[in-house]
Amino acid sequence: MNTTPNTLRPFARLLNISLLLATLPCALNATADETCQSPYMAKITGQEDVVYVWTLGMEGLGDEQDKMVTVDVKPTSSTYGKVIDSVSVGGRNEAHHADFTDDRQFLWAGGLDTNKIFVFDVHTDPLHPKLVKTITDFVAKSGGVVGPHSTYALPGRMLITGLSNNKDHGGNTALVEYNNAGEYVATYWMPTAKALQADQSSVYADGYGYDVRALPRKNLLLSSSFTGWSNYMMDFGKMLTDADAMKHFGNTVVQWDLHTRQAKKIFSVPGAPLELRCAWKPEHNYCFTTTALTSKIWLIYEAEQGVWQAKAVADIGVPANIPLPVDISISSDDTKLWVNTFMDGKTRLFDISDAFHPKQVYEQKIGAQVNMVSSSWDGTRLYFTSSLLANWDKKGLDNEQFFKAYRWDGQHLQPQFAIDFLKEKLGRAHQMKFGARSLYTNASTAK
Amino acid sequence: MHLVFFIFLSLLYSSRLNAESLAPGYAPLSFAAPVPSTYSLPELGVAQDGRVLDSQAHERSLLALMKGKIVVLSFIYSSCDDVNGCPLATFVLHKIQHQLSLHPDRVKHLRLLTLSFNPEHDTPEVMRQYGSSFQAESLDWQFLTTRSVQDLAPILHNYQLNVQKLSTVEGKFTGKFSHSLKVFLIDEQQKIRNIYNAELLHPESLLSDISTLINNQTHTRTRPKKAFSPTPTRQLTALGLPTLPVPRANPLTQAKIALGRKLFFDRRLSFNNTVSCAMCHIPEQGFTSHDMATAVGVEGRTVRRNAPTLYNVAYATTLFHDGREHSLEQQVWGPLLAHNEMANPSIAFVLDKLNSQIAYQTGFKHAFNKPATMETIGLALASYQRSLTSANSAFDRWLYQHESTALSPEAQHGYTLFIGKAGCAKCHTIKAHSALFSDQQFHNTGIGYRDSMVTNASTQQIEIAPKVFVNVANSLINSVSASKQNDLGRYEISQNPAHRWQYKTPSLRNIALTAPYMHNGSMHSLSDVLDFYNAGGVAHEQLDPLIKPLNLTPKELAALLAFLQTLTGDNVKQIVDEALSEPIGN
Repeated sequence: MNTTPNTLRPFARLLNISLLLATLPCALNATADETCQSPYMAKITGQEDVVYVWTLGMEGLGDEQDKMVTVDVKPTSSTYGKVIDSVSVGGRNEAHHADFTDDRQFLWAGGLDTNKIFVFDVHTDPLHPKLVKTITDFVAKSGGVVGPHSTYALPGRMLITGLSNNKDHGGNTALVEYNNAGEYVATYWMPTAKALQADQSSVYADGYGYDVRALPRKNLLLSSSFTGWSNYMMDFGKMLTDADAMKHFGNTVVQWDLHTRQAKKIFSVPGAPLELRCAWKPEHNYCFTTTALTSKIWLIYEAEQGVWQAKAVADIGVPANIPLPVDISISSDDTKLWVNTFMDGKTRLFDISDAFHPKQVYEQKIGAQVNMVSSSWDGTRLYFTSSLLANWDKKGLDNEQFFKAYRWDGQHLQPQFAIDFLKEKLGRAHQMKFGARSLYTNASTAK
Repeated sequence: MHLVFFIFLSLLYSSRLNAESLAPGYAPLSFAAPVPSTYSLPELGVAQDGRVLDSQAHERSLLALMKGKIVVLSFIYSSCDDVNGCPLATFVLHKIQHQLSLHPDRVKHLRLLTLSFNPEHDTPEVMRQYGSSFQAESLDWQFLTTRSVQDLAPILHNYQLNVQKLSTVEGKFTGKFSHSLKVFLIDEQQKIRNIYNAELLHPESLLSDISTLINNQTHTRTRPKKAFSPTPTRQLTALGLPTLPVPRANPLTQAKIALGRKLFFDRRLSFNNTVSCAMCHIPEQGFTSHDMATAVGVEGRTVRRNAPTLYNVAYATTLFHDGREHSLEQQVWGPLLAHNEMANPSIAFVLDKLNSQIAYQTGFKHAFNKPATMETIGLALASYQRSLTSANSAFDRWLYQHESTALSPEAQHGYTLFIGKAGCAKCHTIKAHSALFSDQQFHNTGIGYRDSMVTNASTQQIEIAPKVFVNVANSLINSVSASKQNDLGRYEISQNPAHRWQYKTPSLRNIALTAPYMHNGSMHSLSDVLDFYNAGGVAHEQLDPLIKPLNLTPKELAALLAFLQTLTGDNVKQIVDEALSEPIGN
């Protein structure tokens, strides 16, 4: 087991210990799942023990509640490939994204509908997360932000993107900060055309939000944009055929000053730019996003004189068929980008060695639908889950709900195991996060 | 040169051989430092106390050391040789000490505290020697330790520092620690205002933050709240409207209206606290929703029909598009209990939730002298909705007050068409002294028939980005669509086959504000609606005989549109402002 807490600094020259020494360029510039984590967070560079799957409850299935499901993914384990723990949290909250605090002691899991954030202790017993706190004041404290999405670690605090608001359930929303103790800190509203009148920005400022990523060395924070509660909670088919609803998607990426949390620039990125992933290498001053509706890879990059720009650099599948790119995962060496497309259930691998000219080099159907992808640090293990949003998932037999593990041999994805979340009466499998006992082993020893 | 400082410089020197491995704090800032006081440093929490020893071995309270000063608190251990750990913190503080020495007026506000997390080795004397290499007279920089690991533990816990002793495989402590680099900026009120790690700790940005605190111009940025207006003071009757119908059993009072408004904006009135009445009847969107054709309820459940505007709902003799209720007092329980709207499992569930809250205990007592009951909730919500009267429009002033210039010649022409060639007024009635623009009856325009009986084309055009359209196969759409619920209109209430696909005639007051239109929200603009009626609706056997091709010219359609746009009441802004002043219940 190798783990690299970026701010935990072992001394491998002197010691024969199980922690892998963090090489500082990685430690200081890391962003990616395990290749997509906050750069401020300890990360697992070796074999993960478990994957936590933030799972949506389904009416009529099992206990119908959202739950944190723990899957054993350590090949040498006797329970390898099995669900070893499940913590139901009460209600269906539109479980969506989850992420760790900077010290990786706690996992924050948000509900896009009820706006609750469930905080799990993952350090006391990493194989059995414990729900220790439920934040219920997100909307009230934030001044009306609805839909806690990304929970992104900053030192001592969590930056949480909203998707909507409590005034009209539309897309105007904000970034919200909480401290690691779960106390509200601040709200930063997404820039709107009204707010930007002073600088005569020609780009439409929709005020929408979705994901967020930081490049500290560039004092850069990027946020992307999706849609409001009314759409993300609506039946997908109903929404697609509702022309009014379809007009309410985000078409922007916002560049923020990381230190001051002030919006600096708005990029026009039409068609709902979702996940943001920044390159790892210090000389790679760029991040990727993909647009869900227009099916393109966009590059947000630092151009001449430190000016940041946005450019569409590749199509994903046949955009006219709306493959609907959803989750993406960048490799730790910045050469590969996995892109899942929900509608055709495929994962696609793009060679991004030339960031301006991504080329698809591989594709594989994962299931009738696929949403999230998570990669190990070395890129040899990939995990996939199926659910996009409760009311956007496919209907009938195509509503497969799974967690699937693959090995990437450099040429092909080799199936390792799969868990049917419907058969197991669990629900809709969504966000995945990795856990490892070794992250906390030394702390125990120190005690 | 002191030995510790020498070792420190040696570490830095050796690390510079591999400049990439150095934290940003050692190099000039690669971007412009933030300008002090142009940004906020929100409070991140309260600084925590602990028992520490100063370099003279005097026991001190950590908070006492912070009192009245802006403090930069760092955690180190003296033998740390990770150049991006403790030495970075010390380097940065040393650097700012040097720069602040040029500004004695600022130095007096500041204290640097460096606390060891290795009390077994770092005695007060060790810390004194360690600090003597860095301290300058100009700045108050204290080097601290604790009496024991036991005294240290709660401090580490409270500041969320993960410090691990590093051992050999044989289990022998190496004298080294794996630790989180965290440096805290704490204000004079002992509130944490920033936390820096190896990536963020830099002398220039730290100085900006310190200056920001010294300038004392920081504030938390939250959306400003509008002043709360407890009760509406506007007139509820207006030119163009008949006398407001108020049930004898529910006379209007300001207390009831205010309570009803509070309920209307309270998301806790739904089962999972996500949907209020106002989430579908949005004040700024004409008390309907511009963003969707038909509403969605709790958990995104599909509602078949468009959320109707509530303007002038007091005058409706039947409620809902199918007219299944006739009293606002009763109607409110429909959405509250509908599984696909607010989804409350029972009446008692709603009553218990409201009566458990002091604000509602007080509000209901004040309005009714009794708690929330099925009856009083209905009375209150009905009172607020009944207050949403809006008229005295340009049309009203033109027709009923004879202000000849209130309508443009084009709008006047539109009126002539409205009551004449176009035949609109046959259903959207106008009377001699008032106009509700509704006959309160039910009609079949063919829209419901088309939804139920006509097979869709194989593809649909979808706008996937502004002005970017694609044709999408219905098979693809169907794969992500729940089964569509049928809608038979008034028939569902009357069970009379003649009433299939009939829907209530809506008022046209404020019609310019209440898109999308028709019972299923299928028309996005008034022009779409006019074109639909001009074409004679959807032909079928049960089409209302009043609906037939009108043969209106484009000019006539434009005139009708101009007329419809004169029906907006003069108090809309007042009603919306009043609504927005109500705090949203979350």
